[in-house]
Amino acid sequence: MSATRMGLAGGLAWLLCLAIPALAGSAWVAIFATFAIYAITALSEDIILGRAGIYDMGHAVYLGIGAYATAILNTAFGWPILATIPAAILAAALAGGLLSAPLIRLRGDYLLVATIGFNAIFILVMQNDPGGITGGSDGIAGIDVPALFGWQLASQNALFWLDWGVLGLALLLMRNLDRCEFGRALRYIKQDQLAAATLGVDTRRVKTLAFALGAGLAGLAGSLFAVQLSSVSPSSFVFTESVTLFAIVIVGGPGSIPGVLLGAALMFVVPEIFRDFAQYRYFVFGIAMIAVMVLRPQGLWPRRRAA
Amino acid sequence: MTRLLELRGVSKSFGGLRAVDDLSFAVEEGHIVGLIGPNGAGKSTVFNLITGVYRPDAGQVLWRGREITGAAPHAVAALGIRRTFQTIRLFGEMTVFENVRAGIHLRARQRWWQGVLGLPAQRREEERLAAETRAVLARLGLADVADKPATGLPYGLQRRVELARTLVAGPALIILDEPAAGLNEAESAALNETIFGIRDQGITVLLVEHDMNVVMNVTDHIVVINFGRKIAEGNAGAIRADPAVVEAYLGRAGDEEAAP
Repeated sequence: MSATRMGLAGGLAWLLCLAIPALAGSAWVAIFATFAIYAITALSEDIILGRAGIYDMGHAVYLGIGAYATAILNTAFGWPILATIPAAILAAALAGGLLSAPLIRLRGDYLLVATIGFNAIFILVMQNDPGGITGGSDGIAGIDVPALFGWQLASQNALFWLDWGVLGLALLLMRNLDRCEFGRALRYIKQDQLAAATLGVDTRRVKTLAFALGAGLAGLAGSLFAVQLSSVSPSSFVFTESVTLFAIVIVGGPGSIPGVLLGAALMFVVPEIFRDFAQYRYFVFGIAMIAVMVLRPQGLWPRRRAA
Repeated sequence: MTRLLELRGVSKSFGGLRAVDDLSFAVEEGHIVGLIGPNGAGKSTVFNLITGVYRPDAGQVLWRGREITGAAPHAVAALGIRRTFQTIRLFGEMTVFENVRAGIHLRARQRWWQGVLGLPAQRREEERLAAETRAVLARLGLADVADKPATGLPYGLQRRVELARTLVAGPALIILDEPAAGLNEAESAALNETIFGIRDQGITVLLVEHDMNVVMNVTDHIVVINFGRKIAEGNAGAIRADPAVVEAYLGRAGDEEAAP
């Protein structure tokens, strides 16, 4: 299937999913809203891990920064939700760029350990409630619903469409990334950093930019996350969440948009179908991780290879 | 003649080993210059010092008379210097087209956010650069394999793809690291023509090569090094007659061939 037809099929599938609130019960609407938020987060991890090949094992930090930015600006400073979103994106992107810049030249395994460190520190800081703004271990509750041109997006369905609208934008962004010089430069770096540099790719700058962009997109998802739950707490952004995001990209297919979506669906939708087994989510996903790495190391739905 | 590239007293050590020792030579614009020497003489290290992969411990590297010592590889590339590698370094998960397209990276004017947003000017640039890539593929006889995975091709073709990736940038200097390695006789003979063709486009060539047929027939000027030091310099005839060269390099190569 050509890239264009893949894109068309994907667009149709997205349109069909918009009809979920009309076809399914509220439980499914909630599941698919959660899926959309985590799919955006997984796509943002894919920019860093799947495309640039940077081992980011602390990606939940940027989801958390976005969520906390929205929560704090809304509850403590009274900003409307939509106004907090650009701030959430910017805060996460800045954090990602500034944290990664001095470390980006580290080899993959060293950088991985460093990013685990980011996550540990982030959780500790949130729990310690610096300046009384993060609410400690309990987090922050009572986040408003977004208002759009005077309409309160209060219903579950309205929030679902908001999440899926943003997912649609994220998917367009990822598609464009495949077709532009910056997106290609990431792949050059992933495949052969030295060859990329001798062709003129400023590897440090491009990798830092990828990190900032991935973190910013995660920050956007964090904003939606805060609105969806109307509260945030440190437990949503712990290290195991970062591991899950990392695994979704690797299991689904690094650099593959359908692969990453499939990975996110395996983690967040499939367990709901087998509700009675939902507590085995990590067990099932753990088995899948092992099986995929052994049998299909390029991921369940790999990036389209050369003919 | 203008000096395109000049090394002045360049040295580089790894641990206790002096890989390059007080090396000086110049590459004149429009020339084909050969850098030869026995295995382990430090030839690839010299290339890595020029292209910014390593930083010299001492000495200077000059480009058009301006010092570029220790510049990062991408900055060296931006000056118009391109290289191939002794062990071919193609992007393994990409097609021939995508590999050659990568060589044009610095000619892209689009900003990252224009690409992410897919703005019209960026789309037009994409089409223009893709067309230029296809033109280079056609010129080098690679059009038929453009959509094939690059690393699945026969070795000789892979070398040509790597060469196409450097040429597409329109560089001022191309550095070829053993371009004849792994080529069969016919391919090696065709390589001479290819190198002349590059020079005729106005591109200066600096090459490391073991294949004496290539070195003696195509170069305007040869620099011979051994143990990181320059032992001779001159045209092919002078190098052939130089006793130090014969002893260090040509003689020894002859011994190896004579051995059972």
